[in-house]
Amino acid sequence: MKRFLISSFFTALVATLMLAGTVSAQDKYPSKPINGIVPASAGGSTDLMSRAIEKVWPKYCPQPLVVVNKPGGAGVVATEFVVRSKPDGYTLYLGYGSGHDIVMPHLQKMPYDPYKDLVAIARISVHSVVVVTGTKSEFNSLPDMIAWSKKENKPITTSVSMKAGAQDITITAIAKAAGVNIVTVPFAGGAEAVTALAGGHVMLGAGHPSEVAPHIKAGRFKPLAVALPQRDPSLPNIPTLKELGINVSTWGSVKGIGAPAATPKEVVAYLEATLKKVTADEEFKKIMADLDQPIMYLNGADFAKFLQEVHADYGKLIKELNITIQ
Amino acid sequence: MGIFDGIISGFFIALTPMNLLFALLGALIGTAVGVLPGLGPAATIALLLPITYSIASPVAAVIMMAGIYYGAMYGGSTTSILLNLPGEAASVVTCIDGYKMAQKGQAGPALGIAAIGSFIAGSVAVVGLTLFAPPIAEFALSFGPPEKFALALLGLLMAVTLSGESVTKGLIIMVLGLLFGTVGIDPISGKSRFDFGVTELQSGFDFVTLAVGVFGLGEIFYNLEQQGNVEIVTTRVGQVFPRMADWAKSRMAILRGTLIGFFIGIIPGGGAVISSLLSYAVEKKVSKHPEEFGHGAIEGVAGPEAANNAASSSSFIPLLTLGIPGNAAIAMIFACLLIKGVKPGPFLIVEHPDVFWGVIASMYIGNIMLIILNLPLVGIWVQLLRVPYGILAPVVILFTAIGSYSIANQAFDLYALIAFGVLGYVLRKLKIEAGPLPLAFILGPMIEGSMRQSLLMSGGSFSIFVTRPISSTIVALFAIFIVGQAVLAIRRTGRCSKAQKAA
Repeated sequence: MKRFLISSFFTALVATLMLAGTVSAQDKYPSKPINGIVPASAGGSTDLMSRAIEKVWPKYCPQPLVVVNKPGGAGVVATEFVVRSKPDGYTLYLGYGSGHDIVMPHLQKMPYDPYKDLVAIARISVHSVVVVTGTKSEFNSLPDMIAWSKKENKPITTSVSMKAGAQDITITAIAKAAGVNIVTVPFAGGAEAVTALAGGHVMLGAGHPSEVAPHIKAGRFKPLAVALPQRDPSLPNIPTLKELGINVSTWGSVKGIGAPAATPKEVVAYLEATLKKVTADEEFKKIMADLDQPIMYLNGADFAKFLQEVHADYGKLIKELNITIQ
Repeated sequence: MGIFDGIISGFFIALTPMNLLFALLGALIGTAVGVLPGLGPAATIALLLPITYSIASPVAAVIMMAGIYYGAMYGGSTTSILLNLPGEAASVVTCIDGYKMAQKGQAGPALGIAAIGSFIAGSVAVVGLTLFAPPIAEFALSFGPPEKFALALLGLLMAVTLSGESVTKGLIIMVLGLLFGTVGIDPISGKSRFDFGVTELQSGFDFVTLAVGVFGLGEIFYNLEQQGNVEIVTTRVGQVFPRMADWAKSRMAILRGTLIGFFIGIIPGGGAVISSLLSYAVEKKVSKHPEEFGHGAIEGVAGPEAANNAASSSSFIPLLTLGIPGNAAIAMIFACLLIKGVKPGPFLIVEHPDVFWGVIASMYIGNIMLIILNLPLVGIWVQLLRVPYGILAPVVILFTAIGSYSIANQAFDLYALIAFGVLGYVLRKLKIEAGPLPLAFILGPMIEGSMRQSLLMSGGSFSIFVTRPISSTIVALFAIFIVGQAVLAIRRTGRCSKAQKAA
């Protein structure tokens, strides 16, 4: 009996292996789970967006998308990993268009070219920069605060998530455009920057909608402006800086999907189509709304063009504002 | 709904068979994760996040996640005591006296008191969480950069007190820790420091890799030298449970640790570490026999273990009432809730009272489960030390390597782990107590960052540290401590020289 069991087990095993071999040889993409590399640690806004995709993905694809966090080197480790991985469509870059793709290349040498070495598959969202102040603040608008600062000759302290990141650059641009003295206080990440403003330790704060919207709804923050060219679809009641007469707009941080440049065209097309279905899914829309991340889908070609524009915009701003990391 | 009605309804939710099962699952996984060296709650919860997509109820998912988090705090002391392997920052302090106790054959009492202390602290902190969550959250917010600077500076002073006999050696190792802490992108200037062109180093070294390398691997490398007679603790297991005398000594330490952990642990980023340090320093100060500290004083295990457990409960307060996650593991629970369509924050208690009260009630139950699970396990863990070292050491190294890799999913951390292991070995050879190293590593960037942030806020004026009530109080404490120590030292030398003259 025992011998029978063992032999039947091995027969089954061999049969399965043979079957698996034929399946993977004949079946077309995707025939195994797809790894989605996230350039940030779990729990942040890029990770949350990736998790939302991961959750809805199985509805539209026979193989799962598996989120892998590689937060090393401020995100560069993750992107470099994707750039150097096999271009077979099983390693994707989730969060293409983050700060280290659109801002960092202007400030330091990169170990790869974030545009030539990657192919854009789809844009999922744009994380704008929202300017907020505490509810207890005596100022109800950005022009009021700027007028006070000029009159009293006192600087406006502002918490930002890091030095020379999208938020810091946007705030510095506001200071230059309005001719006012703003001191940006950089923190180690968005959560810390938001906490400092919530505690009333700085006068002004900048954050992505996912970071500040919960505090706006909780009555802790007063929203003052959005730095996009148009209003943010996730916060439609907040005016843009241009509406307030401050001629500044940035794209904040872009969140799309990329793959190694040499990935086959039909694989890219498949992923692009799948992501289009994911972004149109009701459950995905609900999660993204809960996360305060607007869905702003663009197809691969348009996304690639958009990335170039955003990259060039930041290059111009960084030159104008003379931002360096010293 | 009042607090009383709330918590009663919470128990009705937490006591449903399904939720009880998830609480038990969380406690089991948490204990395992805590015991496995190098594998932390944050990495585990991240791995399990996709599984929670298919758990229908957000309450059940979070009950399990929370169980893993505070369960890991129970288990974390095990490897610290038995193998000198701190699983996370807050249990570095536990290593110091816990491992000494194990070497003396008192692993059982050390593990037992850690479990009992954890249970008391965990339960008391949950009561605090139930009654005072909102006002305490406001207290946490009042800690801005100047307050954090003052607190971290005080913590650094406490860290030096861990240095054992030689203060000079303690200072040397502390500076080394501070130096390691400067590696990577400096958030204030945006510049990457000391990365030598290695991309991975731009994010700096990882704490777990450093602590596990210096303590655990260093210890193993050192033992490899002791050919033939690597008995470390193996043959002398001694008794398993704490005696009444141990309990009498630890009672007040647990109580003080709980209070310190509950209040300091709430401060986002580093609160738990500082609370365990503070508890250790306080116990050493109030003890009638401070010379026993560093040589296996049971209060040195009981206090800090209570503190880090109380801290793990109170760190839920900023998450549940403000929507601010204070550390990596809590950020993971935050993510899990958001994906489930539940927004932690001030409206949680109104919008999802089932989640708010259900999770809090489950923490009472989870703590009971953990003490039932952990006390009998003490006997089994102690037996672990009977495993021949030739088998135990490679298994430990294997798990450390897996744990280290799982933090950022990059092979670089494995090389760093080995390098830190070699460093730990060298320190061991030089008879330098490594305790202050990981603590300075964590506190250094906090001190530097918050000091520069404070000065940016004040326009360069140092008065910001003494004009704000909380920071001025802590700075005053710091000054009293330094002056007191100096006066004591001068008197002692004075008395010595007088004695010499008399002789």
